[in-house]
Amino acid sequence: MVSPHGVQLATHLISSFYGDLCSKVCECLLRRGTLTLAQIIRFTELSRENVINCLRVLIHQNCVQAFAIQQEGAFGEAPRVITQYMALFDNMIHKMRAPKFMQIVSEELGKDVGSSDVDVVRESFNRLLIARFIERCPAPEPFLAPPADGETPAKKRAAKSAKIGEERQTTEQRALAAAAPMESMRFLMEMDGLSEEKSEECTNSVTVGEKRKQDVLKSDEDVLNADKKKEVLWRVNFEELVRRLRHKACISYVKTRINDEAAIVLSAMLELSRHSETRQKAENSAYLSINAIYDEVIKKEGGLGMDFERIRVSLEQLGCQCLETGIDESYSIDIKGIIETSQTEEMESVVLRRYGREAYRIFRLLSKAGRFLETDKISDTTFVEKKDTTKILYKLWKDDYLHMEKVMTSGAKQSLFLLWRINKEPLREHVLDEMYHAALNLRLRIAHEQDKGKEVLQLPREKLVGELEKRYKLLGKVRVILESSLMNLDEAIMLFHDF
Amino acid sequence: MAFRGRGRGRGGFGGGGFRPAKQEPLELFPEIEGLGTAEYSTAQIELIKWSSSLHKYWNSSPYYYEDRSERPEKVDKPDIERYSDRNLLAGKVKPPLWHFIRLDTDHVPAELARGEKRQKLVKRVRWNPESDLQKLDLFEKLEQKHQGQEGTEKKENEEEEEEDGANEEDEGEFSDEGDYEQAEYCDDDEDDYNMADDNNDEPFY
Repeated sequence: MVSPHGVQLATHLISSFYGDLCSKVCECLLRRGTLTLAQIIRFTELSRENVINCLRVLIHQNCVQAFAIQQEGAFGEAPRVITQYMALFDNMIHKMRAPKFMQIVSEELGKDVGSSDVDVVRESFNRLLIARFIERCPAPEPFLAPPADGETPAKKRAAKSAKIGEERQTTEQRALAAAAPMESMRFLMEMDGLSEEKSEECTNSVTVGEKRKQDVLKSDEDVLNADKKKEVLWRVNFEELVRRLRHKACISYVKTRINDEAAIVLSAMLELSRHSETRQKAENSAYLSINAIYDEVIKKEGGLGMDFERIRVSLEQLGCQCLETGIDESYSIDIKGIIETSQTEEMESVVLRRYGREAYRIFRLLSKAGRFLETDKISDTTFVEKKDTTKILYKLWKDDYLHMEKVMTSGAKQSLFLLWRINKEPLREHVLDEMYHAALNLRLRIAHEQDKGKEVLQLPREKLVGELEKRYKLLGKVRVILESSLMNLDEAIMLFHDF
Repeated sequence: MAFRGRGRGRGGFGGGGFRPAKQEPLELFPEIEGLGTAEYSTAQIELIKWSSSLHKYWNSSPYYYEDRSERPEKVDKPDIERYSDRNLLAGKVKPPLWHFIRLDTDHVPAELARGEKRQKLVKRVRWNPESDLQKLDLFEKLEQKHQGQEGTEKKENEEEEEEDGANEEDEGEFSDEGDYEQAEYCDDDEDDYNMADDNNDEPFY
């Protein structure tokens, strides 16, 4: 389930991009889970036509996935097939970071020149496909076969209920897996004998430079294939773009933590192993031989002067696992470890800013310990006064950063011990929820400022003199500050959710 | 706790009673004093520009779905027109969704599908076979009299189809679904129902 502020943020994004009706449908799906069309109509209280059109838009914009599932008939009726709709939360949040994705593409493939020439568009399309920035759209309505009855022989009650809980979770996952195109087909464009090529731009045909690039990136670009089978639709491949951002984040973290050389070595390794990363959140990179690493490192800027010895030193600093097979030594890097350390540091810095240095020390102690610690012990280890410790611990506990348990000892003297501990998973989700909340507030504020300055913004440049000019400049400054804060915050959100 | 406090409040604590809290009006967006200078590079400014142009694009596209029945047919101009209202009334009519999204069963679940656009146009023309048969009889008679007239009528139908095809690329003016259908239903008895049925897919199953 998505955290409450996450739902609010996603709903706000959809409402600002696609209107209030779409956002109502979105909110309904996010809050109530997977629903059928009839259920959506009932819960949103919108007209049937509106709900249908909203679903069409949302499916088209990759925010909703539909699937067909067999439902058991009630009281002797035959089982029937119904269509259910699930919300794709990640893709909704991705709308907020579309400019970052565009930046990655423009850095790698260069900006498109504004031209409506079909060949240019085709060439850009091919380049995007080769770089795997676009992929085939998933199936609109995959059918999920019910699990075979023979799979569950007589089991214990506990096991069966656990299985039911599991199965509910995996229905959505099964739907996504069934909808996704086969790995071999995903980036395959059929090129059999196109005689007449009709590149139908579903977006508008405005050919301003940047807009053209947007059009190419849009998920609704389609190319008519010569074969009369169904038309292939393409969309942005978020997985690849998130992977690039993930690598970027790792490299910049290593650059600040260790040094530049280690960052260069890391970027070389990540680039080499990028194509073999099949999972969304790969934990380790592939094992790469030292020679391959060396070849890649000297290609990078700043890496020219590095030799084998310096590379080995950097690899050690990065904490790589070394695998020696005969004469060849290969290294693999633990990406997950880097991400986790980065997350912990982020959380610690939040605690430092909000609760002070002493709280920071206590928090660090608890997160390193990974087990219950008693109040006195904490106070002794961190050199903080006992009553301050208690105060700080209570504050952190009230804000859901810590977990507390009370232990009563009976016997000669009855005393109450308070034990404290950090649970990493719930804490991560809590911090993520707070970040969603902050992002939502930022977006609302940006919208508010835009609305407030509506009059000034619509004036032509010449009329902006004196007081109006000052206001205009202030509006611009405010806007840039808010938007860049939002982008920095978004990096942190991605660190906790997508990486 | 409150009751316990009150008894002692008069004695030593002076002011230990609970005065009503000072009510401040809720300010949703308070002014920020002293805006700092956020360090932003030129790359960020480019991102901001992209973000704003994407936002404008999405808002002006037909993906920004509005309820057609809620929008009044004629928008009354307000008594005092403000400068910021300049863009409000212009360009409100948006193209229907199926100009931009593939709505056939290959790309959209069956219950949301609309059928092929070309087929639909053809169906529209051939709607209500009884009245058409009558029309055909009429045409046959007219054909003998006015061969030229009938030719132009058929051409008009074709032109309409072509126009609709051309309208896919043209963003400017194109007929709303409702207008197009009204022309076909004008000789039908159930005018009232058909007005509401304009955008409903049901008749085509």
